Amino acid sequence: MSRVATRSAFATFRDQYAELMRSAFLIDLQYRASIAIWLLWGITEPIISLGIWWSIAAGGAVDGYTREDFARYFFGVALVNQATLSWDAWNIDRWIREGEMNFRLTRPIAPIHEAIADNIAYKAPTAVIILTAWIGAATFWPAVRIPFEPGRWALAIIAIVLAAAIRFLNGYATGLLAFWTTRATALVELQFGLSLFLSGRIAPLSLLPPQVVRAAEYLWFPYVLSFPVEVLTGTVTTGGQYARGFGGQAIWLAIWLLLYLLVWTRGRRRYGAVGG
Amino acid sequence: MPTAIVATGLSKTYDVKVRDPGIRGALAALARPRYRQVRAVDDVSFAIERGDAVAFLGPNGAGKTTTLKMLTGLLFPSSGRAQVAGCDPWTGGNAFRQRIAFVLGNKQQLLWDLPPEETFRLNRAIYGVSAADYTTRRAELVELLVLGDLIDKPARQLSLGERMKCELAAALLHQPEVLFLDEPTLGLDLEAQQTIRTFLGEYRRRHGATILLTSHYMADVTALASRVLIINRGRLLYDGELSELVARIAPIKRIELVLSETVSRARLEEYGTVAHYAPPRATLEVPRELATAASTRLLTDLEVADLSIQDPPIEEVIRIAFGETEHDVLAEPEPVARTDVRRAPP
Repeated sequence: MSRVATRSAFATFRDQYAELMRSAFLIDLQYRASIAIWLLWGITEPIISLGIWWSIAAGGAVDGYTREDFARYFFGVALVNQATLSWDAWNIDRWIREGEMNFRLTRPIAPIHEAIADNIAYKAPTAVIILTAWIGAATFWPAVRIPFEPGRWALAIIAIVLAAAIRFLNGYATGLLAFWTTRATALVELQFGLSLFLSGRIAPLSLLPPQVVRAAEYLWFPYVLSFPVEVLTGTVTTGGQYARGFGGQAIWLAIWLLLYLLVWTRGRRRYGAVGG
Repeated sequence: MPTAIVATGLSKTYDVKVRDPGIRGALAALARPRYRQVRAVDDVSFAIERGDAVAFLGPNGAGKTTTLKMLTGLLFPSSGRAQVAGCDPWTGGNAFRQRIAFVLGNKQQLLWDLPPEETFRLNRAIYGVSAADYTTRRAELVELLVLGDLIDKPARQLSLGERMKCELAAALLHQPEVLFLDEPTLGLDLEAQQTIRTFLGEYRRRHGATILLTSHYMADVTALASRVLIINRGRLLYDGELSELVARIAPIKRIELVLSETVSRARLEEYGTVAHYAPPRATLEVPRELATAASTRLLTDLEVADLSIQDPPIEEVIRIAFGETEHDVLAEPEPVARTDVRRAPP
């Protein structure tokens, strides 16, 4: 009896996700022109960085990074960044400020699931577009080819999924601060500024001053971009490097999950006390 | 018959930031925030039987929406208890949410960029409605609300009235036991208001749903509810039959006129009490049963450009019923007597 009930609860949950993803995808289709522009912008930034490092490395390798290494690295950045983007704080901020949270709170599903489904519906197709462009580029530009190693690719996929989960929870939990303040999105932008350096977005972390790298290792930033990119491009090789990377991801995932639960329960209580 | 909604001594007190005007005041409020307590809902108790339709009336800021938000579990009361559809709204969780629907007239849950059909599909999944139930209920709602091909047009292209009809359909697919409606006819044209009233009545008759609605419009109340709750400044002033209330107030109608000729105030007094006179516009108050006759006479005797017969606004009903001055009723809710100003907790 209870097994039947459990299975049917799971089926309902799967059905809810399928429909949430479907409607998110249909809405994305309505905004395909905007999405194409965002996608282009997402690619432009790593390409500019690549252009700069490409000319810096004209005279030879920089700290062991050849021109080809930079090319692979920034192609990886474009893909991983697209797959791990987080815009949820702006959505939540709007839901709370404009009263759109109300109907979401009267539905029998927590609002976070709508955001997760929205993320999957957006990222899966756009990441495929970037991957296709990468494969296209690799056919005539050997520099951006990465060796065929299915095991490492599988690990890279796991690292990307974990990175996406950390960034999502980070953005969602920060966005929920809108229950208290109208400045929640400003906090997200501050984190974004830090992440440009500390996550390896404008340069591989190993090229940054050692003090900055050490500081970054105490935060989640390297684990959400630099680590998955380096798994993908083959810079991460030793078991120790894998263990540190996945270990860091697991710890930060747990931390942001706990912070989300904390902010959600307290924020919900506050919302119940003072309204939107 | 089981009770659908029970509210016992519900109260809601908000802390409102007090700020002196000007930049100095703004800076002072930053450095040392002060709060004033405002009692939005004050010791409200009532019970509604299953299948009843009850209207919650009151001017803006009276506490209607706050009460509805407490009964739907969105807001926690400062004190008091409630039971809705057999659940506690604040601890009832998803089982509770499955049994209610909350439609806010000024907010939408339809997916803005997609046809309403997509919101229906989404709600089917969210509420776990079986495919067979979905087909039957969807067909019934499409028929009763005369949705036709509206459900295939993007929601953003629908008129306000069309959107509200689709909102109602989306909110009823899981067949809630209790339906909360906050100003469902707000801003709609007369035809759309009428469709929604007729629909709600028919839906309640067919499914025995309990309806608690708030409204500014007397017509919503007369069409839908036999019982009204009147709330003002957070306090429940009246709970009873609508007919009793109408008997209690002077049963009047308002005739709004636009005249094409100059008619003196004294001349208009022959047809009824002149409540408002600003040529070419004038408003007359006449006993309800004489409204039609007075209108006919006005149209025959005078050059009338436009004439409409209306119910007195709800503020006026409350004013008449409770002998308050209009100014008082329309004023913003005032802080409670035992207002206390205190510093924010650290």
